[in-house]
Amino acid sequence: MSLTLKNIKKSYPDFEIDVSFDIENGKLITLLGPSGCGKTTTLHIIAGFIGPDSGSIILGGTRVDMLPPYKREAGLVFQDYALFPNMNVARNIAFGLRMHGWTGDRIERRVEELLDLVHLEGFERRSITSLSGGEQQRVALARALAPNPRILLLDEPLSALDAKLRKELRADIRRIQKKLALTTVYVTHDQEEAFAISDRIAVMKNGSIEQTGTSQEIYNNPKTLFVAEFVGLTNTIEARVLGRRGGFTEVESEFGRFLARDGSELSAGQKISLVFRPERSRLVRGEADANIIEAEVKSCEYLGDSTLLELEAKGTRFTVKLSQAVFCTTGETRRISFSPEDCILLPVSHP
Amino acid sequence: MARGHHEVKLYRRENPDPGSARPWGTLPLLAFPLLFLSLFFFFPLGSILVEGLTDEGGSFTLGHIRSILTDRYYLRVIGFTATQAALSTVASVILGLPGAYILARFSFRGKSVIKALTTVPFVLPSIIVVLGFVIFFGNNGFLNRALMAVTGLEDPPLKVLYSLRAIVLAHAFYNFPICIRLVSSVWSRINPNLERAAQGLGAHGLKLFSRVTLPQLLPGILAAASLTFIFCFTSFAIILVLGGGPKYSTIEVVIYRLAKVSLDLKAGSAFAIVESLLSILFMWGYIKLQGRVSFAEKAGRKHEERPFSLLFRTPWGIPAALYLVIVFLIIVAPMLSAVGNSFVRRSGWAGNSRPSLFWYAKLFFDTETSAFTVSYLSAIKNSLFFGLMTITFSLPLGTLIAYVTTRRKFPAQGLFDAVTMLPLGISSIILGLGYIRAYQNLPWDITGRWYAIAFAHTIIAYPFVIRSTSAVFRKINPSIIKAAMSLGANRWRTFWSVELPLIKSGIIAGATFAFAISIGEINATLMLYNPRLTTIPIAIYRLIGSYNYFAACALGTILMLLCFIVFLLIDKMGFEVT
Repeated sequence: MSLTLKNIKKSYPDFEIDVSFDIENGKLITLLGPSGCGKTTTLHIIAGFIGPDSGSIILGGTRVDMLPPYKREAGLVFQDYALFPNMNVARNIAFGLRMHGWTGDRIERRVEELLDLVHLEGFERRSITSLSGGEQQRVALARALAPNPRILLLDEPLSALDAKLRKELRADIRRIQKKLALTTVYVTHDQEEAFAISDRIAVMKNGSIEQTGTSQEIYNNPKTLFVAEFVGLTNTIEARVLGRRGGFTEVESEFGRFLARDGSELSAGQKISLVFRPERSRLVRGEADANIIEAEVKSCEYLGDSTLLELEAKGTRFTVKLSQAVFCTTGETRRISFSPEDCILLPVSHP
Repeated sequence: MARGHHEVKLYRRENPDPGSARPWGTLPLLAFPLLFLSLFFFFPLGSILVEGLTDEGGSFTLGHIRSILTDRYYLRVIGFTATQAALSTVASVILGLPGAYILARFSFRGKSVIKALTTVPFVLPSIIVVLGFVIFFGNNGFLNRALMAVTGLEDPPLKVLYSLRAIVLAHAFYNFPICIRLVSSVWSRINPNLERAAQGLGAHGLKLFSRVTLPQLLPGILAAASLTFIFCFTSFAIILVLGGGPKYSTIEVVIYRLAKVSLDLKAGSAFAIVESLLSILFMWGYIKLQGRVSFAEKAGRKHEERPFSLLFRTPWGIPAALYLVIVFLIIVAPMLSAVGNSFVRRSGWAGNSRPSLFWYAKLFFDTETSAFTVSYLSAIKNSLFFGLMTITFSLPLGTLIAYVTTRRKFPAQGLFDAVTMLPLGISSIILGLGYIRAYQNLPWDITGRWYAIAFAHTIIAYPFVIRSTSAVFRKINPSIIKAAMSLGANRWRTFWSVELPLIKSGIIAGATFAFAISIGEINATLMLYNPRLTTIPIAIYRLIGSYNYFAACALGTILMLLCFIVFLLIDKMGFEVT
């Protein structure tokens, strides 16, 4: 079931939602953004709990935005599980089936099938309160999937769980989603989770989508400074475009001249932000042909699998992440180097 | 009254006081509470037990109890007490549920006023309910006179006084705001995602309500119902006046008559034992249900409130608005008509009415006091005096008990908790009976003395002081006490400069409750007073009895004014009164 949101708008006194995206049948799209960016509101608009002011929602070729929530056949999973505390596991899972007129053995078989799917065999008679958070979320997932929904909507489903469980359940959700080829909208504020689980990611800010793309596109080719900074650590230099040189764009800043990825749409003299990632930076001795900044080491943290260095030059902080242990002394001057292919030029953000 | 709904973390007594390694170190702190409770609660209570369970020769017998439980009259009284309480409860819940829904799910102008009004019954003395009821619903009351004026009828069309109907109506009026308050707080705290999840799974309308919402709501409804039932089961003044005779007597009224009119303390005590067992049973049921409510509320998520205009677009809009107006009127109209009446002077029974301050002038300048009558001014003075005395005694009593039970660990703690809350399960008529019985044969007969009334009020009020102070004690993070002590403050210094400022609001709330309870109290006072100790509620009761409604209304207005100040104080501090 493909899903299209076309110019969905919803105004609040201090906030406005304006969203469009589409997702192919059987794919998982993640709405990623900081809290208050409108991702849960968007999910509730898709589910039918909030009516948009304008725009249309098309599910599998038919408009659904006029339907009440109970006719949209959307499976929902919430951060706080929202299991019915007055029912046991089996009755929770059977709830949607009963609402759709299923009876007797059919329900029982379907409940068993779903418990197998979420790896909770034999949990039928357990009460909700006797379950751990992870188990509760599995039951919630099974309950949402039971009536064969046309679409699955997950609202920060893992936020209430601890880190290890989060990874485990994340993999399970993805496995089940792929197996059922179920079109899914997944809401999270955790970029690692988004990268791990998604076919596509829509990064949201202030009610609208900043950029949509695959995990790689979002991380390696962010279109705005907000996206670049939200999905990982960045080093940012304010600079001005000089012109093109040998397949690259040359820029000038207070740290000197740098070469960056080709940005042919940029014109000379334009102000831009040059962005590069800490893990794409190196420390070098002597001369190198690449871009170089000399900076003073402020701190050096050994993290086991990597080393994180904080450096400072002319009042600007730079982070360098190296995949091996390095020895450096606070106060010494080191040279940060980063290759032009890893430098992204982005429009200066308006504060 | 726009209070922020922030999560309040409660601290259990897992961390006993660092200074009290010896469990019995707590004992000195308990000395005052235990002594006071022994003398003025357990001794009177015990003497009722002895009186009701012994024969003339002093040996144990169940004869008195048996004769109560086999006597047709007493059985009918028990039956009537339960019936009127059950009917009143059903009426209160039915009247309260729509309001609970509207308050929980919608926002509208004046909502905070309606919400605040629902706390009124907690501070409104029962005698005011009686007064307002007579003035508003009485044969010559506002409602009848208005109906007569509109329809042109010669006779009052609504004859509700002195009947079961009057009792149930007055109880419903008194208690349905409690139902609104309790149920709406549960309703607004049902996890909104539950209903969303159910809708996503295809549920809607009645199915959604009955399978998902109602099961969450039920413990709250039952808790509200059982609290209302307990209140109505032990209600006294309303029955005494509005029942108007032996036909509509409840256990409380019969015990009062046995003790004060027929002076049969044996039968009174036996009946008191029966009633106490019943009400403690109900109390236990209520506490069980209350536990289930807090369990259901654990999710702690708030529903977003929709604007009331949304409801207006549905067919339910008009009935809902009408309901709110009626709620407002039902709570406010009887009180307002009592206030209105206090400024009226009528010449003769059917004479012309004109606005006048006559009754107030009479209150303040007619100071003639004899052995049998008391001036209204001294009734006001007496009430204020008892109010202040009740604060003076119940504050240290309640605060000490709250401190010990929330902060210290000592043997038999559960028993201690139960014992100190026991006065909530004992009616104040029975308390008064206990004072009469316990001290009548001692050289020190306290009946008719001012301190008997002050102590009785203290016993009735201090559990509420415990409630409000232990609520704040529990909110204090034990770590800050340790922090203060590690920074060099000794135990007393820590209490004085760290804990006390934090519990100040709880102590003020406790004092306010104690005062409100004392100035409105009529049951125990009626058992123990002598004419010189007449309080405002008793003066009103006697004025109603002599059909002097206008003077009753003037005194009632003053009592309402006092209660209103108390109500504002409690409301301002945002204390949850239940």
